[in-house]
Amino acid sequence: MVTSGKGGVGKTTTSANLGTGLASAGHKVVLVDTDIGLRNLDVVMGLENRIVYDIVDVTSGNCRLKQALIKDKRFENLYLLPAAQTKDKTAVSPEQMRTLAAELKEEFDFAVIDCPAGIEQGFRNAIAGADRAVVVTTPEVSAVRDADRIIGLLEANELRNPRLIINRIRPQMVKRGDMMDISDILDILAIELLGVVPEDESIVISTNRGEPAVMDHSSKAGEAYRRITRRIRGEEVPLMNLDVPDGLMDRLKRLIGMR
Amino acid sequence: MTRTEHVALKGTRDGLILYLDPTADFDVLMKELNQHLGESAEFWRGAAVRCYAGGREYSSEEKEGLASLLQKHALELSGWLSVPGKGPESQAVVAPEHDQHAQDEGQTEGKALFVKRTLRSGTSIQFEGHVVIMGDVNPGAEVIATGNIIVMGALRGVAHAGATGDRKAMVSAYNLAPTQLRIADLVTRAPKDEAGSEGPEVARIKDNHLIVEGV
Repeated sequence: MVTSGKGGVGKTTTSANLGTGLASAGHKVVLVDTDIGLRNLDVVMGLENRIVYDIVDVTSGNCRLKQALIKDKRFENLYLLPAAQTKDKTAVSPEQMRTLAAELKEEFDFAVIDCPAGIEQGFRNAIAGADRAVVVTTPEVSAVRDADRIIGLLEANELRNPRLIINRIRPQMVKRGDMMDISDILDILAIELLGVVPEDESIVISTNRGEPAVMDHSSKAGEAYRRITRRIRGEEVPLMNLDVPDGLMDRLKRLIGMR
Repeated sequence: MTRTEHVALKGTRDGLILYLDPTADFDVLMKELNQHLGESAEFWRGAAVRCYAGGREYSSEEKEGLASLLQKHALELSGWLSVPGKGPESQAVVAPEHDQHAQDEGQTEGKALFVKRTLRSGTSIQFEGHVVIMGDVNPGAEVIATGNIIVMGALRGVAHAGATGDRKAMVSAYNLAPTQLRIADLVTRAPKDEAGSEGPEVARIKDNHLIVEGV
């Protein structure tokens, strides 16, 4: 499952990219959107117009799981189980999620569960079926605070050793000392780092187009997600080099001894 | 221990006890209590309170008024005592010297809670006695103890030692960088510049001020 506590840090984008990345590596993957009432994953995947049945239809027995699964445009082995838009989080219970997860586990190599923001019922549903957790945060104190809370809740629910993705980092700002750096964040959260994704305009474009950045080889964020995907598959991949080349002014300043 | 002229709120081993001067006018009592709680209610928050007013009987309206005033300050009236706390003590408001002595004893020994993990945001530890944390206390977490607090790691959240008024309580940590530090009735925030000194530090009350020094 992909979770964060705080909204807007990139859970859905991360879910879409992890799912797509894993599928492109040949795994059979299902993306599960548990953000009932505020579904987004279908939009990010560009599959909104194909939804007939949703997760609530499945858990309440309105349809079979197979009927609700939407096959991705690009990959044969990638599916989406969309959230319902007209209901709310109480439409599904943790017990139903556990049953659903067990069913998905038989069909698929990976089920990526996109968790809603917050720590209420939606979160409790999402964690009910999960074996492993990925926590997404951005380098902001508020997001790190919420991530810390979420990690505590995950541990309390027996989801040990969650892994961390630091999203939307801006190397230039970190360099200037205006943004929390990776070690500041790891100092507080003290969990294993799964990857660092730089702030990248191409994410906005790919999200709007409904095409995950992980497939875009010119995108820096896409490269970061490809590395994260490989780490999830168990490979050892070094962190992406986020160093920004010095500008002309920097070099001049150094030359005349200003820094 | 905190007190005004006719009301006193005191933490004991068996919870909070509110002492009301039996000779005082009820309206005066209510007024003083309201003012008193307004000043210090934060660290009693959510507690259950028992009342003692000597031999005096209040009418049911007065009792109701008292209960709703306590509720307004997030306290719950849980009952009335016929004897002032444990054991025979002087009438009405308890002499402060006596109380201080009892607290001192609790400082040198008393119970201690050991927490063998990091407290993450949203966790709260409340304990009557001393608390030792083997891990960090992250921002958004809080530790409230009636005795001392020791953090074998970084204290970045909120710590309140001597929560029932013991001014001899102290807070120490390997890395003392709390969001807010409280000892007894004193509250302080961490200085703005983050460059704190390295190494373990201890915070305590000295001359009515909260000070931090190396261990």
